[in-house]
Amino acid sequence: MVLKAKEENKNSIYVPDIARISRIEKVSPTEKLFNVAFEDEEKQNNFKFLPGQFIELTVFGLGEAPFCLASNPNNKEFFELCVRNAGNVSGALHRMEEGSRIGIRGPFGRGYFPFEKMRNHNVLLIAGGLGMVPLMSLIKYIMQYREDYKELMIIYGAVNPSSILFRNDIGYWSNRDDISTCVSVDNPDDKWTGEIGVCTKLIPRVNFPPEDTYVVVCGPPVMYKYVIMELEKKNFKPENIYLSLERRMECGVGKCNHCHIGNKLVCVDGPVFSLWEIMNLKEAI
Amino acid sequence: MLYKVMDKNSYQDFIKALISNYEFIGPVRKDKSVNDFVPIKDISELDTNYMKTTIPPAKKLLFYPAEKLVNYEVGKTISVKPVVESKERILFGVNAWDINGMNFLDEFFTTDFIDENYISKRKNLIVIGMDSQPTETNFSPSMGADYAKSGFDMYLTELGDKYFLRIGTARGNEIIQRYAKVRDASAEDFKEYDKYLDDYRMKFKLDVDIKNFYDNFELIYNNEEFWKKVAKDCYSCGSCNLVCPTCFCFNVKDDMELNLKEGNKIREWDSCMIPEYGLVAGGHNFRPNKENRLKQRYRCKLKTFVEKFGRYSCVGCGRCIETCLARINIAEDINSVKKEVSV
Repeated sequence: MVLKAKEENKNSIYVPDIARISRIEKVSPTEKLFNVAFEDEEKQNNFKFLPGQFIELTVFGLGEAPFCLASNPNNKEFFELCVRNAGNVSGALHRMEEGSRIGIRGPFGRGYFPFEKMRNHNVLLIAGGLGMVPLMSLIKYIMQYREDYKELMIIYGAVNPSSILFRNDIGYWSNRDDISTCVSVDNPDDKWTGEIGVCTKLIPRVNFPPEDTYVVVCGPPVMYKYVIMELEKKNFKPENIYLSLERRMECGVGKCNHCHIGNKLVCVDGPVFSLWEIMNLKEAI
Repeated sequence: MLYKVMDKNSYQDFIKALISNYEFIGPVRKDKSVNDFVPIKDISELDTNYMKTTIPPAKKLLFYPAEKLVNYEVGKTISVKPVVESKERILFGVNAWDINGMNFLDEFFTTDFIDENYISKRKNLIVIGMDSQPTETNFSPSMGADYAKSGFDMYLTELGDKYFLRIGTARGNEIIQRYAKVRDASAEDFKEYDKYLDDYRMKFKLDVDIKNFYDNFELIYNNEEFWKKVAKDCYSCGSCNLVCPTCFCFNVKDDMELNLKEGNKIREWDSCMIPEYGLVAGGHNFRPNKENRLKQRYRCKLKTFVEKFGRYSCVGCGRCIETCLARINIAEDINSVKKEVSV
């Protein structure tokens, strides 16, 4: 019986596999971190993804939505999703308890953060708000193989101090000398002693040589234009700048077409693109 | 391709044999000017002399307006299974531009990932093509879609007292051998067919200048004035998408049965012209106004797939022109782009 079900699943790109939420942690007033593993152990063991890829998550009876993976791809026991309570599916996910079952399809996306190309180069990561989530996967991977990379710098902008995600990780990084982290908030509270303002303001301080640096940007759509302007001033090369794009996705497999920008499908060709690929693609940025 | 000729007096027997041996879907007159492709039980219902169909026949049979993709049961455990239905059917009398529209969908639904729900129906669809008379809004010759080179099992062309047959597949040939009396096409038949094609092409009156559109569009893209004018009357209703033989956008929704134990994932046609199309959770809309959306539709039809598949995804059938309540006319707009750019 089990065998047959598997065979059937292979035939449809729309059939999710059943997974279970093993742990839920509230990480900010609006975000929760979910540890998820497939019920089928073999499926979980064979689940391989690359940093920057995403999955389609089904809350049965409610719907499906895309979420990016936040954990180290080398973590075989489970994967992490960090989800903001923003829509129907994410709202339902937030109401779920540990042990609940969900459906997962994926991983999807040809475009991922190019961790292979980045080896032996400096890496600058720029995140705005929830954009920190997909970058976590890359950061954790790089930290595991830290000696393969040169300088690593993270610029992270959040709306206010309480919306800062992954505080424990950021705290841990700040005690290390092989990673520099700049966190900036738009609306500080009384206790905030760090940077204030949008994260683009921090880019001029970066002094990585452009020819030896890869840049990854992930954040809300409005952020990209301004970040790119700052990066261009620093002469970073468009082919070395990578951006993760957000679009509406219903299928994740290039069929529903909601995410297409000209000849690119964000779900299939992306979600990560080099700036070179999309700088002249109308409507992309 | 096999070329055969069938005498007209054996045509009736051929059709009757197909109707009695297959689920046979063909054009039936609905009112003065509109036909619809529906299952036919008797040859008297068949009306191949049609001009218009509202919903493209191939799309109607292969990509349902609403379709179950996945069925699941929720209880102590959750079981999930795909819903892929498919049965052998004959689609009879479909014209060249609608076949070309289907050919586009074939390529689309098998690129990157294979969509079983579409392709399993497609594999079981026996396509018998036939020319129909173009409407005044049809510009398929400009789009290279007035003639079907592939995508059919056989294509019948009426030449006086006979039919000129192009047989495209082994399956088509088998059907011919089993149910039809045919002979090989002679040089004389080919000459008549050549004359027919020339005459047929003359029946298309609408011309669009699409040749330089690919590059011209880049210039016109940022011309806000132009797009404001073009999209001025658009109601964002999505009628153009519904009648388009190559529109394929869909939403997927989960739908629970009343017992709250069983549920389905259902895909429904969506429309790039309605405001919610580009909306993401959190409230950001990537195409907030109707100018964005119409521009996007033209880009998808006339440019995107030139890059991806080397062909337009518009076949020039003219259905959207006839259907648009605001009289937005893709043919006129293609020509306006040319006019705007040329010196």
